[in-house]
Amino acid sequence: MTTELKIPEFSANFAESGQQGKWGMAIDMDICTGCQACVAACAMENNVPFVGEADSGYGRSMHWIRTERFWEGEFPEIKMTPYQPMLCQQCGHAPCEPVCPAFATVHSQSEALNLQVYNRCVGTRYCANNCPYQVRSFNWRDFERPEPLPNQFNPDVTVRRRGVMEKCTFCIQRIHRAEDQAKSEGREIADGEFTTACAQACPADAIVFGRIDDPESAVSKLARGSRGFHMLEELGTLPSVTYLKAG
Amino acid sequence: MTDNFSRRDFLKLASVGAATTAILTGCGPASRYVTREPYTKMPEYTYNGQSTYYATTCRECAAGCGLVVRTMQGRAIKVEGNKNHPVNLGKTCVRGQATLHGLYNPDRVQDPAKQAKRGSRDFSSMDWDAATAVVADALKNTDPAGVAFLMGMAPDHLFDLVSDLAKAIGAPAPIRFGALGMFEARATLGKAVESLFGQAAMPFFDMGKSDLVFSFGANFLETWLSPVAFTRGFANMRRGGGHGRGTLVHFEPRMSQTASKADLWIPITPGTEGLVALAIGRIAAEARGGSLPTAFADVDVEAIAKASGVSAEKLDELGKLFASANAALAIPGGAALAHSNGLETAEAVLALNALVGGLGRAGGVFLAPLAPMQTEFSRPANMAEMADFVEKLKSGKVKTLFIHGVNPVFELPKSLGFEDALKSVQTVISFATFPDETAMQADYVFPDHHGLESWGYQRVAAGSSQSALSGAQPVVSPYYNTRATADVLLAAAASAGGVLAQALPFKDEVEFIQSKIVALVSESDGYFNAPEINTFTAYFQQYGGWWKTVDELSTPSGDALGKTIKVGEAKFAGEGEFYFHPFVSPVLGEAGANKPWLQEIPDPTTTAMWSSWVEIHPKTAEELGVDNDDVVRIVSEAGTVEAVVYKYPAIRLDTIAMPFGQGHTAYGRYAEGRGSNPADLFGEQVNGAGDLAFAGMRIKVEKTGKKYPLSRLESRMGVYGEALGEEH
Ligand code: SF4
Ligand code: SF4
Ligand code: SF4
Repeated sequence: MTTELKIPEFSANFAESGQQGKWGMAIDMDICTGCQACVAACAMENNVPFVGEADSGYGRSMHWIRTERFWEGEFPEIKMTPYQPMLCQQCGHAPCEPVCPAFATVHSQSEALNLQVYNRCVGTRYCANNCPYQVRSFNWRDFERPEPLPNQFNPDVTVRRRGVMEKCTFCIQRIHRAEDQAKSEGREIADGEFTTACAQACPADAIVFGRIDDPESAVSKLARGSRGFHMLEELGTLPSVTYLKAG
Repeated sequence: MTDNFSRRDFLKLASVGAATTAILTGCGPASRYVTREPYTKMPEYTYNGQSTYYATTCRECAAGCGLVVRTMQGRAIKVEGNKNHPVNLGKTCVRGQATLHGLYNPDRVQDPAKQAKRGSRDFSSMDWDAATAVVADALKNTDPAGVAFLMGMAPDHLFDLVSDLAKAIGAPAPIRFGALGMFEARATLGKAVESLFGQAAMPFFDMGKSDLVFSFGANFLETWLSPVAFTRGFANMRRGGGHGRGTLVHFEPRMSQTASKADLWIPITPGTEGLVALAIGRIAAEARGGSLPTAFADVDVEAIAKASGVSAEKLDELGKLFASANAALAIPGGAALAHSNGLETAEAVLALNALVGGLGRAGGVFLAPLAPMQTEFSRPANMAEMADFVEKLKSGKVKTLFIHGVNPVFELPKSLGFEDALKSVQTVISFATFPDETAMQADYVFPDHHGLESWGYQRVAAGSSQSALSGAQPVVSPYYNTRATADVLLAAAASAGGVLAQALPFKDEVEFIQSKIVALVSESDGYFNAPEINTFTAYFQQYGGWWKTVDELSTPSGDALGKTIKVGEAKFAGEGEFYFHPFVSPVLGEAGANKPWLQEIPDPTTTAMWSSWVEIHPKTAEELGVDNDDVVRIVSEAGTVEAVVYKYPAIRLDTIAMPFGQGHTAYGRYAEGRGSNPADLFGEQVNGAGDLAFAGMRIKVEKTGKKYPLSRLESRMGVYGEALGEEH
């Protein structure tokens, strides 16, 4: 007897299907100061391991969010490009998804997010290769966190082991908590009711998170503004993160 | 004592009593300890999987940001900002986020201990009774003139307690110091305000409502005074608080993180910031018309252009820009004040505000309000005072030295000889939470709790327009066998008897804190009011402090423009061909090096992690024949350090910059033996306000032939380059 397996289908014309993200983010590069509070907040919220000096030198650090900056010109006319906090763009049409042989990185229909299912991941790292934003990090080891550091672990978030890929989840544990709460009270989630760890910490309020399927939300309004653009838009990845140009 | 009275018992009592009395009456030490229990065993006061949140105050610097810490079953899980707190309005900086890696640091001091020989690290644990007896004995049997207290910039409640104690026994008042205070040049700011406006105070810069900010070296987006508050101000300025998008112009020899956000960065010749401020003042005054104010009358713009490397045309442009803004603001700070002419530089920059009517104007300069219960402006010791203190130690007049909240062996210029001076002190008692360099030179270490396990309060000095006292309470029970220093001192005072016991008749730290904050119960305009002290204390804990709901900024008075400001030529100590520009690591601050996640947070401008480096312009590096990852020796007149080269494209060709924060020789596994400490290079030159002229130095750079791969984020391929194929 065979059972009919329902394997999710990857559609190449996702973009045309009109499916829209649900959660989105707007990052104002004009006011991001590169202070790294978001980076630390993310690591603390999501049990992201530190890898140590040597491994970080090899490019194995695990940051789910980082600030990028580039240089333009020569001293004294040199300019630093605006800090660009880079995290998983939660692509609507994600290049990381179709290459995973284990369906570990999949699209969530209900949240319209790109998920990483840790216990499916077999560590081929195809997804990281295929992510144009370079935001996936791989657990090359079981990185050591000596006692009593693990007391700080967030019990809402899985601790990942060696051989598993991970990346920003838009703090899905917070999304679910807020959804459960709203559901139990028989209402919709209100804009600004909760936010991601990075946005919560950001002392400049450069990161705004919320429902982009609600045109009245703070993030939608920002994303619609004239300064908004998507990173590597030409690739057709349909990012859920909108950056606001500086200057 | 009621230490073993658990929160669970307390809540039972509280719920019985709740109907009859004001809420949470008696919320004293009884509620102090939340027991840590396995996740499988849920205490009855928590819902399965629900967190408990406690408001407290961040102790990673002295700014006094309010935190709300998420805890679960007695574990601290996540630090969040306190939304109601006037300093940080729900936000934190990177160090505040990582404070949990201090709390659960594997290398904390776990028990009170006696060290066999200073520096030997041969510690034998004691019990707290014996430790208290040591303190009591020292307080009772040392001639009061021979007792000295050296304290950090936080927490304030302990400083108040020690001040009372010192007064009671007739000992000299406690001395406060912190490396951040030194790098911020706090004494210089206070003194410049006093000489211009006739009243020593902390200036308050209303950046959010300004549309043009000229920052002379102030690293306000990094660690300066109150970085979270300033970052909010900066963001509001950029969003255009009423005048359209604001502009930032930053003067600094090296592009710092703050400078990198500027619309215009002026890589000024070190030590000429004050001169440039005068030139801008003169040009702006002329542009505004009317008679030239005395402050800017005697200014030779051409000569200044030559000295500063900022062309006369550029100065002209800047001066006119400053004159034409709606709400221009000029801020002095950081390395610009750390020159022999630093005090005059601060005056010149502050005077610019007076010129454009910026005193007491929205988007301008105010005097910050004093904190609740505070009667006069206070500041940490400047370097001149610290030098006197070290002399006093050397003279052998100090028999017993108590040290809390500061790590002078690491933070003070090595040339000052603090470590050496300790040899002349009979007994050194450290209350360090972490095994820092100074604790390693102590006879006894009686570890205080971590800040998140502590009661206390901190006066807000700079980050709020409202007068504010930030409150601290334990968010978890102490993880180790540590004890609040306040409790140790109170117990010692009680057992010493006599005047001491009379002066400090408090059962414990909480009672002491209550004895201070009781003064606020009758105050009006507070964020909350309460009829009596117990209810007040409960609210104080719940809201994370007490602050006024109204702004209490005052307008600087005095004729700031009527006085001649004479900015002399900056003097540079040492012979070398390069200017030296030390700065506080924006990520590590003064004491972050022992937190592993902070070590792995990339420096914003260089993306370096886990070590220290020296920034050298690529052209200069080429001339010197050095490359990235080469180790060079930096030689100043006072000392030598080795550090890795980072070729930094945004620094003057004649300047070498180096972050402060690494180079520990103790302080736990994540800090020790990592990078080097620029304080080892500092001399003793001070400015007119007694602050260290740490930027007034010339240095030499020598090759060592060694290499050290600096970990950094910017190369995802790894910096081990050709070694990539190698197994690691
Ligand atoms: S940013 Fe990268 S990891 Fe995230 S969804 Fe897009 S392709 Fe996948
Ligand atoms: S916390 Fe905010 S300001 Fe700081 S780096 Fe992140 S996005 Fe930028
Ligand atoms: S600015 Fe200071 S007090 Fe505020 S969060 Fe950062 S370290 Fe803590």
